[in-house]
Amino acid sequence: QSFKLLGFLDIQNVPCARDSVLYGSLGSLVMGLGHFLATSRVKRSCDVAVGGYISIMLGYWFYCRYNLAHQRIQQRMLKEGMKNRVLFEGSYLDPEKGQTGSERSDS
Amino acid sequence: MANHSQFTFQDASSPIMEELMQFHDHTLMVALAICTLVLYILTSVLTGKLTSNTADAQAIELIWTILPAAVLITLALPSLRILYMMDEINEPALTLKAIGHQWYWSYEYTDFKNLTFDSYMTPTTDLPLGHFRLLEVDHRVIVPTESTIRVIVTADDVLHSWAVPSLGVKTDAIPGRLNQTSFLANRTGIFYGQCSEICGANHSFMPIVVESVPLANFENWSSLLSS
Repeated sequence: QSFKLLGFLDIQNVPCARDSVLYGSLGSLVMGLGHFLATSRVKRSCDVAVGGYISIMLGYWFYCRYNLAHQRIQQRMLKEGMKNRVLFEGSYLDPEKGQTGSERSDS
Repeated sequence: MANHSQFTFQDASSPIMEELMQFHDHTLMVALAICTLVLYILTSVLTGKLTSNTADAQAIELIWTILPAAVLITLALPSLRILYMMDEINEPALTLKAIGHQWYWSYEYTDFKNLTFDSYMTPTTDLPLGHFRLLEVDHRVIVPTESTIRVIVTADDVLHSWAVPSLGVKTDAIPGRLNQTSFLANRTGIFYGQCSEICGANHSFMPIVVESVPLANFENWSSLLSS
């Protein structure tokens, strides 16, 4: 059984979730502590810490998921390309055959 | 199929289901952020003094209008993207009719001659060792892998619903109406589902089993059965 944050978010199995929560926590600690050291206001520092946690967590989440989606699209294109290469190798649809064929005719 | 005590999604077997799972993860992350914020505000209100000298509060009114709108847009855009993706015009390789009865499914492959069969649940008393209770059927729906399948769902008597979670399909079976859905199984395997609309005493005992096989195997099976 995997750990679920607040009972519903599966941190271990959802891609980017663990990193988002960790970066968010670290960022919130730094921001909250930094604000307190600068201003000595406890309540406002807690507000800054929570606000920082949410912004950094969501910010990293969008960044990581965007990169993941980009990667997935590239994987799909690669898979399709490999399949087509195997399928059309040696046939008239093979794009590489046209190039080697013209080289042979020159020699 | 789902493990015991599982309430998360089953592994995706179609591109649409993969997209739905990613959207679900995205939605849960937004929900986590909102829950954190609400818990913090609740804690700070309950632990502080209940005094307020705020009069107009224009700034907070602006914030709690703009922020929820932004959250809704963040959720709506990927959601609409998947919705439109599900309705894309594709050229199905195969059309399958699924007809709900009390209490079994019947399937018709009208692209072939005489390929129709009924699919009854295997009773627990007749279940071979290692098979899944209340999920196995006598005749599975065989489909080719990596091919778009159009499913036309209807019912013969009362409302039923043809659902296969790992393919991301759930379509109501309504008497006198044809509902269309499509799916693409991107790997070979056996995918289980259950009737998802209350239809009488044996509503829980009319499962759906889709078996995705390589095209050559599907052709052998269809030629064997339709002859």
